[in-house]
Amino acid sequence: MKKRDVTVWTEAIPLISKSLETLLDFVKPSDGMACSFHHHFRNGDNVLNMVMEALMDRDLTNLELYPSGIFPVHTSLIRALKENRIRNLTTNYISGPFADALNTYGLTGELTMQTHGGRARAIIEGENAIDVAFIAVSACDEKGNATGLEGDNVCGSLGYAIEDAIHAKKTILITDTIQTTITNPQIRSKWVDGILHVPSIGDPRGIVSGTLSITKDPLGLKIARDTIRFLDESGMIEKDVSFQSGAGGISLAITKMFTETLEEKGLSASFFTGGITKHHVNALEKGLVKDLYDVQCFDLDAIRSLRENPRHHFMSASDYANPNNDHRKIKDLSIVILGAAEVDLDFNVNVTTDSSGTIIGGSGGHSDTAEDAALSIIVSPLLKGRMPLIKDRVTSITTPGQSVDVIITERGIAINPKRHDLLERFKNTTLPLMSIESLQKKAHALSGVPKHSPAKGRVIGHIESRHGQKGDALYRKEG
Amino acid sequence: MARSYLFIPGNVPRMLQNMDVYEADVIIIDWEDAIAPGEKDEARILSETFLKKHAPDVEIYIRINAEPSLYEADLAHIPLNHVKGVVYPKSDTASLSKLLKVLPDSLDIIALIETPGAFFDIKTIAAMERISALFLGAEDLCSELGATRDPSGDAILFARSTLIMAAKAYGKDAVDTPWADLDANNLQKDAARAKNLGFDAKSAIHPNQVPLINRLFSPGAEQIKDAKRIIAMHERKGTMRFSLDGKMVDKPIIQRAYKLLEKARRYGLDGGDSVD
Repeated sequence: MKKRDVTVWTEAIPLISKSLETLLDFVKPSDGMACSFHHHFRNGDNVLNMVMEALMDRDLTNLELYPSGIFPVHTSLIRALKENRIRNLTTNYISGPFADALNTYGLTGELTMQTHGGRARAIIEGENAIDVAFIAVSACDEKGNATGLEGDNVCGSLGYAIEDAIHAKKTILITDTIQTTITNPQIRSKWVDGILHVPSIGDPRGIVSGTLSITKDPLGLKIARDTIRFLDESGMIEKDVSFQSGAGGISLAITKMFTETLEEKGLSASFFTGGITKHHVNALEKGLVKDLYDVQCFDLDAIRSLRENPRHHFMSASDYANPNNDHRKIKDLSIVILGAAEVDLDFNVNVTTDSSGTIIGGSGGHSDTAEDAALSIIVSPLLKGRMPLIKDRVTSITTPGQSVDVIITERGIAINPKRHDLLERFKNTTLPLMSIESLQKKAHALSGVPKHSPAKGRVIGHIESRHGQKGDALYRKEG
Repeated sequence: MARSYLFIPGNVPRMLQNMDVYEADVIIIDWEDAIAPGEKDEARILSETFLKKHAPDVEIYIRINAEPSLYEADLAHIPLNHVKGVVYPKSDTASLSKLLKVLPDSLDIIALIETPGAFFDIKTIAAMERISALFLGAEDLCSELGATRDPSGDAILFARSTLIMAAKAYGKDAVDTPWADLDANNLQKDAARAKNLGFDAKSAIHPNQVPLINRLFSPGAEQIKDAKRIIAMHERKGTMRFSLDGKMVDKPIIQRAYKLLEKARRYGLDGGDSVD
């Protein structure tokens, strides 16, 4: 397939069909075809399975796949592994049984774990050369203008699909709602080649989570309180501060406490970014933050706000975190709060694998935001189950320690020694500051020193930095 | 001097392991009501082993069982180097006198006042030398009285006031009963009521109740400032009676100022020596 020239756009009317077979005939699939999919429908997504089953029924092999995220619902990918149909797989996040299937069946080619910003960069720069982008949208018009904010199965922001829509050789929308017009389309008709009209694109119960809630765990709440104290003493909670945190229970507690602190101090933040929840929306609606920049909506409140509030802005993955995009939003980020599966004595963070090397996630925006934000804070309980958080060396580096400033646990706080300014500022604090080695000793006093059994086996792939450099290897375990 | 007392069950490893990060001033390891009869040994052995091995940096009491046959077994498992005392349930003069005969010398007693009868004994209990605090147990008390608690505290107003009088008369700490539901607004009302009545501290049955209790029972910035000014004036004049801001200051007020400042310093709330 010929590479798309993104400098010249025609306003050709896309092919519209209710038949996937017709659309597949249109894109002329072949062995070795590169397809992309997106995770804005999360665990409610029907689209990836629908397309993959059809491609496999056509007996295609050596597929190059670029799903932005893989969720437990994506069982067709397990069939594809079993039938040895995938050559290379490039993604940002893997959750669920697919990781075990990767270990069992392997790939003929390589697994590449990118970051959200790195994926956008790689698509724009041609490293992720996508033949066909299959993009689920909640509604579109007959010209191909599309959104995630209208229709029966709304998902909010389509931020992770925009670069694919622009740069793939062919862009196919898949929707269950075709309307006369689309208000403020996120995907432009000029990028779209075909539209598949299906009865259902997904299961609403899996699309937006009804379970995002602030942690009630006392340790999580203590970590959140200490994080707010740390931010306060750091002097970072000031007028026009910008802030990002995730959708985990501790992160949500920090977001809530952060906005309460803004309110107490009579301040407002300039912007919040990343994945947006009702807690971010509450802050916007109370005037505690001026703008939200949304690459992904995590709940129905976020979707409503993105649809209705002009200060709640949609953004693409490139505008969010592409390191070569000078206008990326996180370049101006003051504070980011992130999690960790493992941390090591050099402040490297692993959110990709567990201690045995099994894939449990991936960077997403972790290493993008850690590198760009003025202050990056990792929050985590010091013991994960019975395993200490802090290792001598993490099983795999997702985010390099040079991007990580502070580790906050319930039993102590470690500042990266490279942050002389923070160490100086906190020399008289009453917060439990200590070296990361002391923090590790505290964990070992409770858990004992675990035996280190480095992941080994055949290399199945690599973690790739947001700039495109090959990082730590990922292994297909033996035995 | 403590602000918060947190009960944790003696047979839950995760809670024992994390007792020193819950931010309670005092941890009460429960071997009584929270532990089923068949699990008493498990709780004793687990708590004892943990305390001996890890020595958490927090003041620890153990709520022992009320019956002598049970508390004798309890006492045999208390690691004396790590435990400040015992919380004794269903306290009355007779049962406390019996306990004192077998209680190791290093342990003090927090008397749990939770029966109607105990209020007729309360002066004697408060006067006992090894009693360090009186602790209101309102759930058992209300159960015996047939009373219903609500955040207004009306049902336990007399009990609270009586306990505070007795404790203060004998220089002992008065510790308020836990609030049983986890609604933070109700806890706030209940704890504020107790604080205003004169309790020194309040107990908690969940770690998430502790920060609110600590905040409420900590001296406020204005109180700390006033206490510093009173002490500064007292030390400058060398007298126990003087006028400050047009109000008379005498011995009880000076003593209260010292006590408040000591509490503030203990919990890192003293902003320094300035009295401005």
